[in-house]
Amino acid sequence: MPPQDAVIIARADVPRWVAALCARAVVIAPTAGPLGDTVFSAIGSPGEILWDFENPLQPPKQFLLPQADPFVRIRRNNGHVTLEPVRDDGRRILFNVRNCDVSGFRYLQGVYARDLPDAAYARRADATALVSLACTRPCPLGFCVCCDAGPFLRAGFDLQLVPLRDDRLLVEIGSEKGRALLEGAGALFRAATPEDVAARETLEAAARRDFGTETCHFGSAMRRLSTRRVPQALWDAMGDWCLECGGCTHACPTCYCFSVSDRPCDGGWTRNRTWDSCQYEAFTLEASGHNPRQPKRSRMWRRFYHKASAQYYQRDGGVGCVGCGRCIKVCMGTTDMPAVVGAIRKGVWHG
Amino acid sequence: MDDLLLPSVATILDQRDETPDTRTLQLRFRDGERQDRFAFRPGQFLELSVFGLGEAPFCLASSPTRRESLEVTVRRTGRVTDGLHALGPGNEIGLRGPCGNGFDLDAAAGHDLLFVAGGIGLPPLRGLIWNVLDDRDRFGRVTILYGARTPTDLVYKDELKIWAARDDVEFRVTVDRGEPGWTGTVGLVPVLFETVELRPARTLAYVCGPPIMIKFVIQDLLARGFAEERVISTLERTMQCGVGKCNHCCIGHLFVCRDGPVFTYRQIREMVE
Repeated sequence: MPPQDAVIIARADVPRWVAALCARAVVIAPTAGPLGDTVFSAIGSPGEILWDFENPLQPPKQFLLPQADPFVRIRRNNGHVTLEPVRDDGRRILFNVRNCDVSGFRYLQGVYARDLPDAAYARRADATALVSLACTRPCPLGFCVCCDAGPFLRAGFDLQLVPLRDDRLLVEIGSEKGRALLEGAGALFRAATPEDVAARETLEAAARRDFGTETCHFGSAMRRLSTRRVPQALWDAMGDWCLECGGCTHACPTCYCFSVSDRPCDGGWTRNRTWDSCQYEAFTLEASGHNPRQPKRSRMWRRFYHKASAQYYQRDGGVGCVGCGRCIKVCMGTTDMPAVVGAIRKGVWHG
Repeated sequence: MDDLLLPSVATILDQRDETPDTRTLQLRFRDGERQDRFAFRPGQFLELSVFGLGEAPFCLASSPTRRESLEVTVRRTGRVTDGLHALGPGNEIGLRGPCGNGFDLDAAAGHDLLFVAGGIGLPPLRGLIWNVLDDRDRFGRVTILYGARTPTDLVYKDELKIWAARDDVEFRVTVDRGEPGWTGTVGLVPVLFETVELRPARTLAYVCGPPIMIKFVIQDLLARGFAEERVISTLERTMQCGVGKCNHCCIGHLFVCRDGPVFTYRQIREMVE
């Protein structure tokens, strides 16, 4: 665990810092939504940023992987086609993002950089800075401690903010991109003392302790998934509870399946990446009518094999879960991550 | 770093009807330099798009030894293939690729080669066959067994005659059901095994066709002493990106589009789903 650079800022000075950030990039943060919920959105002033909030149901992956993402404009003139790439490298700062979501971005970064690197994702990711807000107490449904995805992180963020008890923030610097966010507001920061760093360690230990022991045990589920020792009847039973809404995949910070489609636009078309879900029946439907993963049980198997098998752990560098708990909240059929992992471990489904 | 999903524009140079629902298109990048730079292996595939309708994967049916154009053979089955059939010479389409692993020709050098194709399964092997025949000295015996439902369903009818006439190729063809004027073999593809002499220990078998045909042909090959890693096939799945990102074509943790579409039977047998 390498020592981190860290600085301190007084809470009262944070708005001035954020105002400086807003002048350099679009700052996106948890804000109060119109219906009393919390949503990630671009802020107009520092006061809109929430500091004590329930993590939004929609993860911030939408800013690097928009739900419908046009990547080329197609026009036709006199029988000839012109293709005009649409490229987005706008500067963004994702502010007060929870560490589970930072871990989600780390996972996506691995997926999109591996094998054939995806320039469209890399361009956005390079232009985006992640400023996380460490969780000093567990959220009601979170289990990030089981996925090495929170509540505090040692790496993956550009800056990590830790609220100390005396109206000051410890700002840990995780990258040069993060360090650059402090420039121009240098007078607001001072170096952290060893006591400040010790206070951070105490807060992290307390937060981890508060998660308790009853969480989501991937290890034994992974052994069973990877060696095909999950009974077919169990997938049948769990599949029966799935309503095929795709909510688990859309709310998941690490899900990234997509489709490609053309949409009419200004007399031509745009070609778009759009979110898709392996839980939809048509995801594998072939033009011939054949569908290799038609039954719900096989689609559910697919989701959890991708999330938690050793085969994918090796390929993607970790489990495909950051313990944010959104699938628990969104799933009306109760086939969320901890429930299914528990059923795989115990060999029984209670619904 | 390339934008993985960005197509190039290609022009349809020519088209040839193979069967009532299957057509071969000859394509060239609109940008001639792009065409000259384009390198591929037989067994790889292209993502072709009809603008406004969408994109779909098609195996390259031509050989890399013939560089003037690219060929794909398209059966009408859905939105994009209907759209391709509605176009003609001079029309422009989108083209990305090549995608996938393709056949390993270097590993095949020195071996006898057996090609077994059923119906629309011949196009993926056709590029490989011409590649082998254009470099004939590198390989041992070449045997081609081809079957289709009826004589009308045979694709590349002119080329079948060329293969049949060559004395460095053993070529056999059969149909499930004859038609007036058909004097050849009638029966499923495996009946052709009885008509050729195979040396399983020194032969690589390339099998492509409908799933049921592949199943029976592979059973037959194994019974004749072919090792599982000497039987090679190509898999198909619904695909979107073709570059190992969108997850539509996954079987277990493998991408058909990236780890395949060419797999040995041993790999196929070990796949989980």
